[in-house]
Amino acid sequence: MRITYLITLLSLCLQLLVPVTTQAEPLTLQQLFEELTLSAAETKSLASDFVQEKNLAIFSAKLLSQGRFLYQAPDLLRWELLEPVASGFVLRGNKGERWNSLSQERDSFSVESDPIMGLIAQQLLAWARVDVDWLQSRYQMELLSEPLNSLRLTPLDKGEAGFIDYLQVQFSADHHHVAQVLMVEQGGDSTLLQFSDVQLNTELSSASFQAPEFR
Amino acid sequence: MKLFARCYNGFENRRGWLVLCLLLLVVFCGWNLSQLKIEESIVAMLPDGESRVADDFLLLQKAPFARKIVIHLRANVGVKTEQLLDATDRLRDVLPAELFSHPLSGPGEMQSSPLLRELGDYLPSLADSADLQQIASQLTSEGIDHSLAADLAQLMQPQGIVLKDKIRRDPLDLQKFTLQKLRYLNPLPGVRLVQGHFLSADGRSSLILADTPILITDATGGRRLLDAFTQAQHELPAGITADLISGHPYTLANTEIIQQDMKLVLLVSGVGILLLFLLFLRRLRALAVYLLPLFSIAVALLVSSLWCGQLSGITVGFGAVLLGITIDFGLHVYFALLHGRGKRAELLQAVSKPVLFGGLTTLAAFAMLLLSALPGQRQLAIFAIAGIISAIILALFFLPHFIGQGNPAHELARRGYTRHIYDVVPKLRWTVIAIWLLVVILSAIQAPQLKINGELRQLSYLPPELAQAEQRLAEVWGNMRGRALIFSGTSDLQTALHSNEQIWQLLGQHQAQSESVSLAPLLASAQTQQERLVAWQALWLQQRDTTQQQVQLSAAKYGFAADAFTPFFNRLDQSPKQIDMALLEHWGLGGLLDNLLLKQGEEYQLLTLIPDQPELIKSLETELSDLPGVTLVSQTRFGRQLSAEISSDFNRFILFAALAVLALLLLLFRRLSDVLLALLPVLTGLLVMFGGMAWLGLEMNLFNVVAAILIIGLGVDYGIFMVCHGQQPESLASSRAVLVSGLTTLVGFGALVLARHPAMYSIGLTVLLGISAAVPTAVLVIPAIRVKRC
Repeated sequence: MRITYLITLLSLCLQLLVPVTTQAEPLTLQQLFEELTLSAAETKSLASDFVQEKNLAIFSAKLLSQGRFLYQAPDLLRWELLEPVASGFVLRGNKGERWNSLSQERDSFSVESDPIMGLIAQQLLAWARVDVDWLQSRYQMELLSEPLNSLRLTPLDKGEAGFIDYLQVQFSADHHHVAQVLMVEQGGDSTLLQFSDVQLNTELSSASFQAPEFR
Repeated sequence: MKLFARCYNGFENRRGWLVLCLLLLVVFCGWNLSQLKIEESIVAMLPDGESRVADDFLLLQKAPFARKIVIHLRANVGVKTEQLLDATDRLRDVLPAELFSHPLSGPGEMQSSPLLRELGDYLPSLADSADLQQIASQLTSEGIDHSLAADLAQLMQPQGIVLKDKIRRDPLDLQKFTLQKLRYLNPLPGVRLVQGHFLSADGRSSLILADTPILITDATGGRRLLDAFTQAQHELPAGITADLISGHPYTLANTEIIQQDMKLVLLVSGVGILLLFLLFLRRLRALAVYLLPLFSIAVALLVSSLWCGQLSGITVGFGAVLLGITIDFGLHVYFALLHGRGKRAELLQAVSKPVLFGGLTTLAAFAMLLLSALPGQRQLAIFAIAGIISAIILALFFLPHFIGQGNPAHELARRGYTRHIYDVVPKLRWTVIAIWLLVVILSAIQAPQLKINGELRQLSYLPPELAQAEQRLAEVWGNMRGRALIFSGTSDLQTALHSNEQIWQLLGQHQAQSESVSLAPLLASAQTQQERLVAWQALWLQQRDTTQQQVQLSAAKYGFAADAFTPFFNRLDQSPKQIDMALLEHWGLGGLLDNLLLKQGEEYQLLTLIPDQPELIKSLETELSDLPGVTLVSQTRFGRQLSAEISSDFNRFILFAALAVLALLLLLFRRLSDVLLALLPVLTGLLVMFGGMAWLGLEMNLFNVVAAILIIGLGVDYGIFMVCHGQQPESLASSRAVLVSGLTTLVGFGALVLARHPAMYSIGLTVLLGISAAVPTAVLVIPAIRVKRC
């Protein structure tokens, strides 16, 4: 079940990209959820660049990568790394494609035939709709004062908690979007995602949700 | 024949003794009926002795799903997978446990099963020589670099978090070789496992498999089962429907359709027989004629149950139907005594000859069934012989005392019987012969087209909704119930496993592995596993150092830590372990083992499912014959074999019956022309029956074979009576007796043509065709060819 929880957390990070409205006063947790739900309802599409920093024991050094994330309601997704290895996946409803330019591999999948991708898709789309009840049933949430505008999520489930220590989500100063997500594993490995150039409700072509061709 | 006249005279004033005898018979038969044990299995109608058909039939019952209840749930377009799976679980949970035991909607969450976590550790025991060749070809610098590049890309993706530990333990993705072994374990061709459920490829169907204590032959239990299922279906939300597929709905549908058919047929035949009674008999005492078959059946049951012990239900059913023909003997005696001219004892003496010989020829025909390869037909022979002998005795010794005296008022009518229509219209003779010839020629042209079909399912009623449910199941899940089976059986598990491997290799040579289901790829014999371990170690002895160097080179290139893949090399250094049955059960594959590894007493039977393709079956039959303890069973071949056995049985029966009948007719008539004349009704009846069936596009089945015996028995009787009628100076009103007998048979058995049950319809049609031809041939054609000598 660790897989499920991990993907849930990751999906949470991605979906917290959904912007929140600007507030003059610090928000309570409840207010933040209300804002998130409201914003998610108004979000038809989202595009963002991101930088991923992986501190994993399996690598000799910090692994930096850059990428782009696209979402279009109701069920189109693109998660793509551009540097150093062009790779990623697109999802169109229940079916998708993934690619890896390094190994020159590209294949199709369906959420039913690939349990891991199925869980990612399920969680991403669930988060796009901001299912607060579900979120609260799985995590203990704490609004942090430092760094400012940050949420800390601690898994409630023992199995998940044995694997993930915590997840920290930081919103932009204007509360329009998630600026940073840090996921810390129990073993000390961590993944940091920093989002920039977030665009809401821009028109995304259907080609954006197609896998690229290798030359 | 004077014996019968003397006996008649002797008992004329001592009828009380006869009544006493009959009463004793009734009491004894009644007691026997209360003790009667009826066996309901179809096995009695499958060849025994050297034939393998019955053995094959029993083996086919061991196929996975053969005895399972399969519930097929279907979701309309728009229903989400989650909703379907929820509905599946809800339905599974509300099925009553006393009727649906061990309901299973899937193998459960595979992520939580130790199988996927631990399977890779057993690669050394699983990798065969072809796998090792592929692994070796992957251990090049390019191959290793390619694998690590793929690992890097995966680790950077969201799914990388999940795969991190797996990649450290298996950077070259060697686990795929173990996962391939699981492919061949799936007996459901179209299945995917989603959230631990069986789900179809299109995501719109799911399955529940269950056992049940209700026997497939138990119609009452089957009704309870189906009612419970219907009740449970109410739990399904809108847009989701479910079909239950098992033997029970067939049993129930057949039982119900037979009950409905019997009501209709009994009504029609009852009205028909009443009309015949009013038209031709019109006397209360004539009812004794109708009681004669009932007594014969009771005696037949008594004798055959004492002889055979347990009787087959099919034997009893058919026997009772066939003994309906014994009414003939009674009718001939009745018409001769009441409408013949002369003293009663003389008339009885005169009619006793054709009755006796008619009975003997029928007896000879049935006796030939004793040579049948089908135990049920041999039982039927004993049943029929006992019934016919008792019918002859009853007709000639008892019946004359209970049918009363002829009415002088019928004198004019009697004269009418003696004047044949040809005396009135002589030219009609040639018209009748011309029509008869035309019918015979047309039938002779069609008859060779008749085919024999040994498909047992054809004998059962298949309601359209059940046929559609089966079709839907096959469309979605593939042919889960129709594959051929290979059994590898021996008292030693290791030998059975070794044979199973050899079978798997043979399937590989035929490129049939991808469509087959076998335990062999996952569970090899201990000896084979040991050989694989040795080969595995030899490979890594040769390749380990170069592989490690190349992995380190590529790892550095992609930024992996120096110790990133230490777990992989540690794994290589571990002592490899073997796979056994306990491990498979630990992995949650116990249910699969139950399907593919059967234990009967001290014998293990490993089962391989293969596509039932005639070419493949033919090739494998020869190749597998060299493997001891290995048996191939195919449904299509079973049907072919059964057809061949029935065909050979029927041909043998026809030949011997023809010889026996011919011998008796020669003994009776001693003139070839009379013999040929007496054979006309039976030959015409059979020819029209075969030709008519071929013309209607019908095929000969087990029940038609039995019905053909009826045509032979009656047809010969008609011939004998009509030829005797032509020879004897006494008027025995034979034409009328034959006519009434034929009409009784037609309304009695021909009414079965109204039935919807295929077996009953089949008998009805056979009898209708055969008797419709035999009666006019006897009553019209024989007198047209041979004028009565007065």
